[in-house]
Amino acid sequence: MDIFHDHPMFGAVRQMLGAFAKQSIRPIAALHDAEESMPWELMKQAQGVGLAQTSLIDAQKTIAGDSDEPDEHGKKKPRKSARVACVGSEELAWGCAGIALALGGSGLAAAPVARMGTDEQKQVFRDALRGTDEHGRIKVAAMALSEPSTGSDISSLQASARADGDHWVINGHKQWITNGKSASVYVVWAQTDPDAGRAGVRGFVVTRGTPGLVPGRKEVKLGIRASETAQVHFEDCRVHRDMMLGAGRERTAGLGDTKKMLDSTRPVVGAQAVGIARAAFEFVLERVRTSELHGTPMASHQHLSFALAEMDMEIQASRLLVHRAAWMADHHQDNVKFASMAKAHAARTAQAVTTRAMQMLGEEALEPGHPVEKWYRDAKIYDIFEGTGQIQRRIIGKQLTGLNAT
Amino acid sequence: MDFALDDEQQLIVSTIRRLVDKDLGAWAADADRAGAPPDRLLDVAGEIGFLVDAVPADADGLLEGDYSHATRALRGIELGRGCSALAALLECNVEPSLAVATWGSDAARAALYGALTGGKLATTASDWAGALTIDASDDGLTITGVLGPVPCLANASHLLLCAKAGDEPVLALVDTATLSLDPVVPSGWRAAAWATLRADGARVPADFVLARGVAAHRAIDQVLSWYRVSLAARAVGAAQAAMTHARGYAEERVQFGQPIGRFESLIGMRDQSETATAAARALVLQAAWELDAGMPDAANDASRARDFAGATLSRTAIDAVQIYGGYGFVNDYPVEKIMRDARAYEVLLGNEGLLRVLAQKGGE
Repeated sequence: MDIFHDHPMFGAVRQMLGAFAKQSIRPIAALHDAEESMPWELMKQAQGVGLAQTSLIDAQKTIAGDSDEPDEHGKKKPRKSARVACVGSEELAWGCAGIALALGGSGLAAAPVARMGTDEQKQVFRDALRGTDEHGRIKVAAMALSEPSTGSDISSLQASARADGDHWVINGHKQWITNGKSASVYVVWAQTDPDAGRAGVRGFVVTRGTPGLVPGRKEVKLGIRASETAQVHFEDCRVHRDMMLGAGRERTAGLGDTKKMLDSTRPVVGAQAVGIARAAFEFVLERVRTSELHGTPMASHQHLSFALAEMDMEIQASRLLVHRAAWMADHHQDNVKFASMAKAHAARTAQAVTTRAMQMLGEEALEPGHPVEKWYRDAKIYDIFEGTGQIQRRIIGKQLTGLNAT
Repeated sequence: MDFALDDEQQLIVSTIRRLVDKDLGAWAADADRAGAPPDRLLDVAGEIGFLVDAVPADADGLLEGDYSHATRALRGIELGRGCSALAALLECNVEPSLAVATWGSDAARAALYGALTGGKLATTASDWAGALTIDASDDGLTITGVLGPVPCLANASHLLLCAKAGDEPVLALVDTATLSLDPVVPSGWRAAAWATLRADGARVPADFVLARGVAAHRAIDQVLSWYRVSLAARAVGAAQAAMTHARGYAEERVQFGQPIGRFESLIGMRDQSETATAAARALVLQAAWELDAGMPDAANDASRARDFAGATLSRTAIDAVQIYGGYGFVNDYPVEKIMRDARAYEVLLGNEGLLRVLAQKGGE
């Protein structure tokens, strides 16, 4: 019985994206990891089969057949989109987490536009992603939130936006920005009123080519190398006031709304970590099932068999947490604690399973291009981005005790 | 009981520490990016007695009397702080040198020591999973198969091979000219001149077979114990370096109004790593001392030391990257490299935990 997936759509998404991951992602994963390159061709193909860069704006509600219309008792109907996203993300990350992030990277920027954007802003965003760039590549978007001095503490952003007539003038430096070098449109977050603290932080839609928007250095990373991460600089970048997200919704459009958005993406990020862990687990399971060690089946060794059991237990537990958090979101329940639990547990599982898998394989796992070694490097980011493991525990702890412990 | 270093050990530690702080640490990042050691490495190392320190003095080496694994472990800890890849290149000659001194024929001694004193390298590999097929039906050995990747092999003139011919253990010195070597650059220890060996009926003459059967079993046990203690020592050094970097970063990085190093969760994480590293250091030095003293438990403790130190480094590197956060994931800071480097300490020579369990099971 699958208590969280009561509709055939979930199985269909798993099957479709699982096949896509196996046939289209896996074969190119090692290459893009080695080259630290974005899978532009695959991204174009994915766009052609519906994994569009703007899907969060254009089709979020319909992709899973959801509706915000209330039922006959006036209650919101359950949605499926959070669970669909988790089911699909696990499959894509099973293929390659870096490529999965490349495929979905624009969604990080699209989400706040979908949530807070005006029709005009949405149109600007869509127009910026239409067609191809000067290299013939599909266009992508970037969400520019983190800064050199503010990683976990996103309330202390240093980037500033100063009002000047009909424009805002943005200055500041952004760090660890997915698609930061290649994006055609950015959603940049900056402080509009230093005295207002978190409430003064607002998002702006800025298109490539705007004077003062300077894509910076691409980072060389430990893992997820098929996903571009770069610095972005804003130097007296003038943005029309109509491009500030949530105009007229001052009470709800600030950073608090962004934080809620991060809460909603945590189960999806956890699902990706589950996908990495499952990939490594399946690799060593197959090895243990089919190989011998010194003339005896590997599977006959308790040392290995119990290690597999431990891996599977942790993966299953992580997946249940992920889907519980997603199920709660789909049923309009407060899932903050479970979203953090899901993300933190899955990240820990991915690291533990990939580390153990390498131990089990020995020197073989050091061969360049070996998938398990890649998964080991990919796994680490899941305990860092979208809120570190410490931030997740801080959130969980506050939910339990009411205090922000230090 | 005396935990203090003697005068010679203090001198060696301070000398290596200077080498690490002045040269190795400075070369590490560039060597990692290039996937190759700097040209000066072997010259500088040779000047302070590396490479031939385990070659007997009567063969133009530096070894007079017994070799000290305790001193080597102290040296390894320092080297591990600097760069795992370069440390591997500086340490790789020891096992072949000692093995040939202990079990080698005159021909093997002449070949290996001639090469090493001429500036060549040698390295060691264990075919723990039985990847090679070895025919020992005549006086020598005929080797077929693929093994590796093996660190330092791409630059080595000789390979000390621990393997089995059927059910019979064999320890042999293999001239790498008889093998096909495919240089590779893994993601960790990138500058360590790795290669995968391919043998297609490679011949090892009888006088290069150092031991067979029961004698080889004991000899391999000893060789791998030397290697394990050396690996463990370097892992301890790498763990020390990772947490030293992380501690410094945590004292400077301010989030939520205070240095992140003041958050209890990070203090606990760091303290746990430093405690485990201190324990690993003690275990490494104990195992090394047991090797020097010829204690019966030396091999077992060498395995334990390697297992524990490898796991400690693995955990510590992951935690150090965690403390750095996003900066730890990019290669501007040294902990990203240490996390890549950490893997080799646990997977070289096979799955230590499994092999130790099997050894104890077989001994029951």
